[in-house]
Amino acid sequence: MAEHYGDSLLEMFLFETSQNTEQLERIILDTEKAGKFSEEAINEIFRIMHTIKGSAAMMSFSNISTVAHKAEDLFYFIRENPSVEYDCSNITDIILSCMDYINSEMEKIKNNEEADIEGGEALIQRVERCLHEISGGKGVSRNKNTGTESKSAEKAADGEKVSKDEKSEKHSYQLTVFFEEGCGMENIRAFSIVRDMEDFADHIRFQPEDIVENNDTVFEIRKNGFKIFFDSAKTYQDIIEIFEKTPFVGSINLIETAKAERNQTQKGAKPEVKNGQKNGNKADKNDEHQSVQSLISVNVSKLDKLMDMVGELVIAESMVVENPDLSGLELPNFQREAQQLHKIINEMQDLVMSLRLVPLASTFQKTHRIVRDMTKKLGKEAEIRIIGEETEVDKNIIEHLSDPLLHLVRNCIDHGIESEEERIAAGKPPVGTITIEAYNAGSNVYVVVRDDGRGIDKNKVLEKAKRQNLLKKPESEMTDKEIYNLIFLPGFSTNETVSEYSGRGVGMDVVLKNILAIGGSLTVESEEGKGMAVIMKIPLTVAIIEGMGILVGNRRFTIPISAMKESFKPDPKDIFTDIYGNEMIMLRGECYAIMRLHKQWGIETEVTNLSDGILILVEQDDKRRCIFADKLIGEHQVVVKTLPELIKRIKTVEGLSGCTLLGDGSISLIIDAGWLVNTDIK
Amino acid sequence: MITVLVVDDAAFMRLAIKNVLEKNGFKVVADAKNGQEGIEKYIEYHPDIVTMDITMPDMTGIEALKKIREYDKNAKVVMISAMGQERMVKEAILNGAKSFIVKPYKEEHITQTLLKIAADK
Amino acid sequence: MSDVSKTFSGAEASEDSLSSKFLTFKIDNECYAIEISFVIEIINMLPITPVPGLPAYVKGIVNLRGRIIPVMDLRIRFNKSEIAYNERTCIVVASIDGMDIGFIVDSVAEVLTIPESDIVNPPAIKKDSNRFVKGIAKVKDEIKLILDNQSLIDFRDIDDIASAIQNEN
Repeated sequence: MAEHYGDSLLEMFLFETSQNTEQLERIILDTEKAGKFSEEAINEIFRIMHTIKGSAAMMSFSNISTVAHKAEDLFYFIRENPSVEYDCSNITDIILSCMDYINSEMEKIKNNEEADIEGGEALIQRVERCLHEISGGKGVSRNKNTGTESKSAEKAADGEKVSKDEKSEKHSYQLTVFFEEGCGMENIRAFSIVRDMEDFADHIRFQPEDIVENNDTVFEIRKNGFKIFFDSAKTYQDIIEIFEKTPFVGSINLIETAKAERNQTQKGAKPEVKNGQKNGNKADKNDEHQSVQSLISVNVSKLDKLMDMVGELVIAESMVVENPDLSGLELPNFQREAQQLHKIINEMQDLVMSLRLVPLASTFQKTHRIVRDMTKKLGKEAEIRIIGEETEVDKNIIEHLSDPLLHLVRNCIDHGIESEEERIAAGKPPVGTITIEAYNAGSNVYVVVRDDGRGIDKNKVLEKAKRQNLLKKPESEMTDKEIYNLIFLPGFSTNETVSEYSGRGVGMDVVLKNILAIGGSLTVESEEGKGMAVIMKIPLTVAIIEGMGILVGNRRFTIPISAMKESFKPDPKDIFTDIYGNEMIMLRGECYAIMRLHKQWGIETEVTNLSDGILILVEQDDKRRCIFADKLIGEHQVVVKTLPELIKRIKTVEGLSGCTLLGDGSISLIIDAGWLVNTDIK
Repeated sequence: MITVLVVDDAAFMRLAIKNVLEKNGFKVVADAKNGQEGIEKYIEYHPDIVTMDITMPDMTGIEALKKIREYDKNAKVVMISAMGQERMVKEAILNGAKSFIVKPYKEEHITQTLLKIAADK
Repeated sequence: MSDVSKTFSGAEASEDSLSSKFLTFKIDNECYAIEISFVIEIINMLPITPVPGLPAYVKGIVNLRGRIIPVMDLRIRFNKSEIAYNERTCIVVASIDGMDIGFIVDSVAEVLTIPESDIVNPPAIKKDSNRFVKGIAKVKDEIKLILDNQSLIDFRDIDDIASAIQNEN
């Protein structure tokens, strides 16, 4: 039924609900450590489930709504019966299952798939059974209670919010309500509003006063509106929102008269502070009186577009400033203004990039769940330690980082952390520690996943690699690092038995792939018996890179500057050929392989003599190579665009990480630095 | 989908409300022709919202409202009233009715009210 | 050329009735047809950026107002001799399975409505010989070969090459 509502509403629903489930997960996992739900946690879980229930119902996702509803019931019971005994871990499992269900149903909604009604029903029964058990078969006392539960819940939540915001002081308001034309019985509607307001306001006075007794008051209300004066701890915006949700309210006019002294209405205050019409009051959110930072959510595709455009702007700027028509002209004023333009554009670019930055926290938080589930299943003990979760990276990167991170953590628990007995025998603390750390260094972010487990058994890895035919050179020549890197090869897995979590050797190669896809790299450190660490180095942003334009034949390519060490005209004396015909060069005592791009890609060029062209020393993943091209065109900032999906599908296309548009509208292909140093030289 | 139980003694009114709701994406899970049946159907179907006629034989809408709210104090009940029933409506509100619609009503009165109420916590 | 450089607007393209509407174009002496619901627009030739590693029939990528799309030369795809592009050469931009692709054709002919009843299956000559043509229709005494979009972007042949190369190494 979602098509009845706008896409933006659906997006908002999905966004908010996933935020809610994330928060829920945090609360639950924190709680489980404590072994008991705190009052605050119970209220919060109740509130979240309640919210999800409500918005899902609004969007007509009744399966989600019902599940949330049942979970809400359960927590309602726990809240109302503080002395009840329950198995915290069991309830945690149930709530996490509900959460998983809600998350997976949201995925289905996104992909336009059928809802899993049966799964929902099974879950509902499970919640009901649990509720039945802890309530001793009394059923849900919630249904028998009188009084207004939902309101008290709201109150509790609001009360908390208020105290958090330190907004305990009350505001005085004057409100005029106009009902929708033709709704009928306006005086009774006014009465109903006043009654509802008692939940969040006091010192309520209204005009006309005799609404209940005198049905003729409808005429005055229709003409002049229904005026209410009251004090409330709620903010201006809160009140507007409440009335937006009230049936038959056509428009309202809310004026904040003054901050009320506690328990005392100030009468003479000037009613000019705020004045908002119900419809079209959104801009008021930015009102200076709102001490809360105001936030809006923006569609990421708009940010991407903005980023693209700023990128184009950077290019256009250089096209103008370096326009050949200007060459040789003395233009001091132009130069000065161009400098200013350059400065503004640079600042703008920084700002736009910062807009796309999001903290790693929520990605890191997801690992808690995995540790919890896996340690429980595998009978191991492990703790997760998170450092630097406030570190921010580009939104695109977060998406690529989440899976690798989770997989690495899974791997730590599955392969790294030993059983309790083993750990004690080895003189280690019985509980293993997995550390996830993020920090900034230069234009890169480092994310490290470290454990204090058994480390990588080199011999085992080698043995396994040999069996799988993955070894490319003799064992004796392999450095430790090269051995560790074997675990990232497709099809490699050191665990003898396939486990539910780390799977069949799929995964570690995906980790590498994902990291490479965002222009990052990774290294492994390990010490047998002490633990291992995977260090991922990720560029801060991938959307704009500094590139070096090169020419091969008549084709233009771009190499990321970050991978370039230097470029030079080789001295023929330094070049030699080994017995297999491989070209090499000696540079300051180091020997590097030479890769000719024209040969590698079969591009025709007149520049085939190494000393006629240029050699570029590139470094990536601690490997170095010299790349041969016809000539350098120059440095430029480029906006990275991905290659069309169809091109990516063609397996014979390799060595490219994307493309970019040049100032003249032509396309330059961006060379994948990883490929430059890793591919077999032709 | 928002599920609705329609309680009204008039078959015509039941049909009229049902048509409006189903046309606008609500799901009328059941209807009932009097208060007693309304309570039974509520317990059976747990609808999101009940539309409840005030004046009905045997058991009035207000009695049924009280009973339903006793059973489920979160029940969302919207009263369907006629002009001149101010006192009854007031009583219904004091007994927890979420809102009320005055006959004759416009289509959007019903749909808007029910949507707002369904969304309200 | 301006007569062919028109965009099929969303309003036109979304109707069901288009399922039997076809855009016809010439390659060599044959007239081919593609369902118009797949066609986004028809443009004049653009400068093509070759991409290393592509099969001969995928010429490279073009910049279509900031969008990067691959272009396929249907002449080469259909094993016909390559000719130099001229002012009649067009790129038919289509969206297949959500992926944009441009087909280079000799010239664009017209938009035709072909009733389903007039379309017959191509005869099987040998395995795979007709894999790009899913139907044949006769309209006003002229034969139209109706293209199967999916098979045009099915790169099985290259995958075979790729795996052959891999096995060699």
